[in-house]
Amino acid sequence: MAHAGTLEIRNLHKQYQVKGEPLPVLQDISLSIRPGEFVSIVGTSGCGKSTLLRLVIGLEADYKGEILLDGKRIVGTSLDRGIVFQEHRLFPWLDVRHNVAIGLLNAPGTEASKAKAVQEHIDLVGLKGFETAYPHQLSGGMSQRVAIARALVNRPEVLLLDEPFGALDALTRGHLQAELERIWRTEGITAILVTHDVEEAVYLGDRVVVMQPRPGRIKRIVDVPLPRTRDRGTAKFAAIKDDVLGEFGEAPRPALVSLPPAPRALADWHFAW
Amino acid sequence: MNPTLRTALRGATLPALVLGAWWAVFHFGWTDTKLFVPPSEVWDTAVRLTANGYLWTSLQASLGRFLAGFVIGAVTGTAVGTALGLSRLFEKVVAPSLHTVKQVSLLAWIPLISVWFGLGDPAKIAFLSLAAFFPVALNTFEGIRSVPRELIEVARVFAFSRTQLLRRVVLPAALPSIFTGIYLGLLYAWLATLGAEYLLTSGSGIGNLLTDGREHFWMDQVLLGVVIVGLVGFVINLVATRLEARSLAWRGKSTAQF
Amino acid sequence: MAPLVSAATLPSPPVAPVVPDTKVPSPWRRRGVDLLLSWPFPLSVLLLWQLGAQFEWIPAQILPAPLVVAQTFADLWATGELQDHLLISLGRVLYGFSLGTGLGLLLGVSMGLSPLVKDYLYPTFRLFAQVPSLGWLPLLMMVVGIDEALKIILISKAAFVPVTMNTYNGLRNVPTSLIEVSKVFRFTRWQLLRKVVFPAAFPTLWNGIRYGLTHAWLALVAVELLASSEGLGYLIVYGRQLFQLDVVLTAVVVVGAVGFTLDKVLAVIESRLLRWRRDAF
Repeated sequence: MAHAGTLEIRNLHKQYQVKGEPLPVLQDISLSIRPGEFVSIVGTSGCGKSTLLRLVIGLEADYKGEILLDGKRIVGTSLDRGIVFQEHRLFPWLDVRHNVAIGLLNAPGTEASKAKAVQEHIDLVGLKGFETAYPHQLSGGMSQRVAIARALVNRPEVLLLDEPFGALDALTRGHLQAELERIWRTEGITAILVTHDVEEAVYLGDRVVVMQPRPGRIKRIVDVPLPRTRDRGTAKFAAIKDDVLGEFGEAPRPALVSLPPAPRALADWHFAW
Repeated sequence: MNPTLRTALRGATLPALVLGAWWAVFHFGWTDTKLFVPPSEVWDTAVRLTANGYLWTSLQASLGRFLAGFVIGAVTGTAVGTALGLSRLFEKVVAPSLHTVKQVSLLAWIPLISVWFGLGDPAKIAFLSLAAFFPVALNTFEGIRSVPRELIEVARVFAFSRTQLLRRVVLPAALPSIFTGIYLGLLYAWLATLGAEYLLTSGSGIGNLLTDGREHFWMDQVLLGVVIVGLVGFVINLVATRLEARSLAWRGKSTAQF
Repeated sequence: MAPLVSAATLPSPPVAPVVPDTKVPSPWRRRGVDLLLSWPFPLSVLLLWQLGAQFEWIPAQILPAPLVVAQTFADLWATGELQDHLLISLGRVLYGFSLGTGLGLLLGVSMGLSPLVKDYLYPTFRLFAQVPSLGWLPLLMMVVGIDEALKIILISKAAFVPVTMNTYNGLRNVPTSLIEVSKVFRFTRWQLLRKVVFPAAFPTLWNGIRYGLTHAWLALVAVELLASSEGLGYLIVYGRQLFQLDVVLTAVVVVGAVGFTLDKVLAVIESRLLRWRRDAF
């Protein structure tokens, strides 16, 4: 079991310089993530959710505010924090086994223990038997599973996922969402998922963080107190999903459009058949 | 009829007609210029020159120079190309000059090189190195520059050191381009070998075999030379593509990215 | 049912402190800096060269000073000698290039459009292309002599091969997806060719033409070095015979400049023609 980390984001501000003008991308983001929690972040394009992940993983810096893992400030990238990108980003010249093993390149441990970890994780994502396949031989879904195995192989404290299933077809996506949930429960790590698919966010998250764009801010955080594994067909699920969707201005909020039921006269029933 | 067989037969029609016409012209004595030489005589010349060792010496000399020049040019080219790819500063300072010098048609350098290096092998090898240098350097540079940023980010996430990044990500990713550069380098070096042998006539080589035949009006020898030049080019092509296919088998057929 | 709302972290009123990041220079400034950086290397080489020649570290016969070369260039230009040779070379290359390109397009198009023609002609073409132009040179010299015909034939051959290859490949590689679209809209064969096949094949085709010109120029220099009494190549050999390396260098510089210009012209035409096409993708 990996040790699940506590992630604290406090008053995070990030801006870029475009043509000499500052462009605020993230504004005053504050988020506390408990160990072992699964947090989904939803938002439309331009709300900075990917930038947020890139700051947490350490690929970008130069921000104001604090990002703390287990109480310590993060500095650059580290094997404590893993990430799965939208593209699988496997090395095309390595087979599945070596692609997963590359995650352990700078990890401590013996060759034997590393080989064992690699095999365990290949089995974990359901790709037993494909160890010697090359990326060009794999489907999109399989490649992404290898990427997940690679991200998990050195048992990070936090797993970040940046729209991991965005490039896959709907059927594969559904399947992999269930797989991801199973893997998360097995490994017991903290996970942060960024997505624009509200259903995916509600299906996987203990909490759903709704972000709004320009500049990126947290609009609202919605709890999802549903037991795992979740059934997308239940009314409770649909209600939470609608609630979150409502934040995106598509459907009118129920509170605004509910009208008091009009009293019915007997005459109304006269012609009802 | 089996379609592959049909295609092969069609393809063979024209060469067969040409060979047949060639043989017929000679067999029926339609012409008697010294220039027209029957196919059989070309073959006889090949046998004769192999027997007295002339063919072998020429081939050896040419290939020896070719390999020496190519190796020097390819090694320097890879080094410079890598430096250009890894350092933006180096690129900005040196690349424009390289692009400018590259513009000059290769063979135009020979007279200058002959003044600096003499007329023998050193000059030829220097010229061959130059010929191989440019495609190797430029393609290596391009290959290193085009390593996808996405893969470099993966290396950063896994805390690769700079050496690890270069060895395990940049080099494999750049390899297809480097191979293209090497292939082009081989081709240009072979062309340069011929050119050098024509212009710097001391010593032996296939180019000299051809020039010799031309000066004595020995059509059979010249034709033989043409065939050999083509064969060597063909073999280079074959070896290079086989090597590439083997080392880059991971590319597969799809154009899917990372 | 009431929506489930948790302890939401409501954003505080926006008071984003605007901290100026490090200045990123505008693209113009960056290009200026790049231009500046490209000079030190060649300039220092030129300087060393000039000093070397001036202080006789290098004898003038091995390498005359750059200033001497510049002077020779000016002299040759003034007497009109340089222009004469230049025009002769240019004339040859353009004539041979047009011939080779024309034939190449003809063959490439017929092989690309007709599988029958391709079956008959492609193998022979490949055999022919196997021997580089330089390999054909002695044979041609024997058969045709060393006057203009030799040069034109060799230059045409040099252009012919890449143009044919690229034209054929360009036509062959038109994406089937586009052809299927035209089937759905019931294009006639002529419409298919004009509106789909040729535009799609054009970039590869033009690439072939550019290669053709480069190879034609290369072949021209080769043949003028070996078997000519006029032209830039001849100028190089002439200077070399007389150990007048300033003449040689002048001619080499002109050869490079012309090669560059020719390719540049084609590149500009390409970007003009393809500008509106590229935007679609």
